[in-house]
Amino acid sequence: MNEPAIDLQAVYKSFRSTPVLRGVTLSVARGKTFAFLGRNAAGKTTTIRMLLGLLKRDDGAIRILGLDPQREPIELRRRVGYLAEDQTMYGWMRVDEIVRFVAPFYPTWDHELAARYLRDFELPLRTRIKHLSKGQNVRLGLVLALAHRPEVVILDDPALGLDPIMRKQFNRDLITHLQGEGRTVFYSSHLLYEVEPVADEVAILDNGRIVRQAETESLRRDVKRIILSREAYTAVRPDLRLLDEQIDGGSVVATVEGAERALTALGREGVEFRVVDLNLDEIFEAYVAGRRGEATEAKPQAELQPLA
Amino acid sequence: MYLRIEKGSAVPISRQIADQVATLCASGSIKPGDRLPSVRELARELAVNQNTVLRVYERLCGEGLLEMRHGQGTFVTGRMSKARMAAHRTRLVDELRQIVRQATGLGLSPEELHELLGEAMNGEVTAARAAD
Repeated sequence: MNEPAIDLQAVYKSFRSTPVLRGVTLSVARGKTFAFLGRNAAGKTTTIRMLLGLLKRDDGAIRILGLDPQREPIELRRRVGYLAEDQTMYGWMRVDEIVRFVAPFYPTWDHELAARYLRDFELPLRTRIKHLSKGQNVRLGLVLALAHRPEVVILDDPALGLDPIMRKQFNRDLITHLQGEGRTVFYSSHLLYEVEPVADEVAILDNGRIVRQAETESLRRDVKRIILSREAYTAVRPDLRLLDEQIDGGSVVATVEGAERALTALGREGVEFRVVDLNLDEIFEAYVAGRRGEATEAKPQAELQPLA
Repeated sequence: MYLRIEKGSAVPISRQIADQVATLCASGSIKPGDRLPSVRELARELAVNQNTVLRVYERLCGEGLLEMRHGQGTFVTGRMSKARMAAHRTRLVDELRQIVRQATGLGLSPEELHELLGEAMNGEVTAARAAD
């Protein structure tokens, strides 16, 4: 069972002449909780819809539990749970009605499990869907996505529109009902501080490519901000894997990946520097909005972006 | 066991949990022989990944502060590793410095601060006696 739960190799997708994905490659091991991060319109939903076979890819390969979503969508949907972004259900149905309506689509539907989730999630069975709160809607979506005991669960921005209390509750649901039962979870989000306590691994999608995939904790060890003088910076810059550089008076504030090697290089040069730990928000920002002026050698340093 | 996770902090979640458990042990809020919540319970309570909690427990076991007894759970041993003790001491000194800075900012003289510290220590001793 060493085959990954989800595997994408060089996946391309354009809408008309606008490229959305330009060679997305990522892999999710079984049993992991994987957060898929990106700015709005980065292509997260497009990727997710291709994972489920709802959209065709232009090029590349996708396997979920070894299945190609385009060729075997039915088998795939039996083994995968899916919660769409802003999932709209028949508003006139009652909670108990939609559960009865959805169940026959899945041969492995577990009625007892569905009943338990409905109880655990405190969902009012006789209420019409259009009268549920946003939080209750997400929880009902989870019941429908989970009751057939899928091996892989794909959630498209499930925390969207939830208030802070419901977000924490959602994280608890994720930990208890999904991680606790060994399922693979792939979910997209733009709330990084909510993702960090929960995700084993994250991938950052930017400009149609995965700019970084890493375990959450190693990512934080690997990306650091270094503050040092301009002279020292000029000496070590070629050794740094830069994400962002900004000038602040006589010093440079540089955000780098591969922090351990960078610090070794700095130690070797014997220059003075200060290291700042970053939170996931700052790391994400460095990857998707980092500014690197190709400045130090060819152009004067003043052309580096100054601190705002 | 009361832990507080600060989301969005530059301190990784695992370090926040490890430091706070060590602090609770050092302050006597949790005592040798006490059983900690299970990985599952604590993960749910804090809304934190179970693997993160498990890794923290394993690390603190490796340091000797906790021990896992098969089938019974995770217990406090009360032994603290030299490294953890040193880190703890550094943090304490930092906090004391901050207190001194705050006191200076409030215009307290060194004598007044000594007096307040003395009172705080007496209060702790009385409380500890009352608890015994």
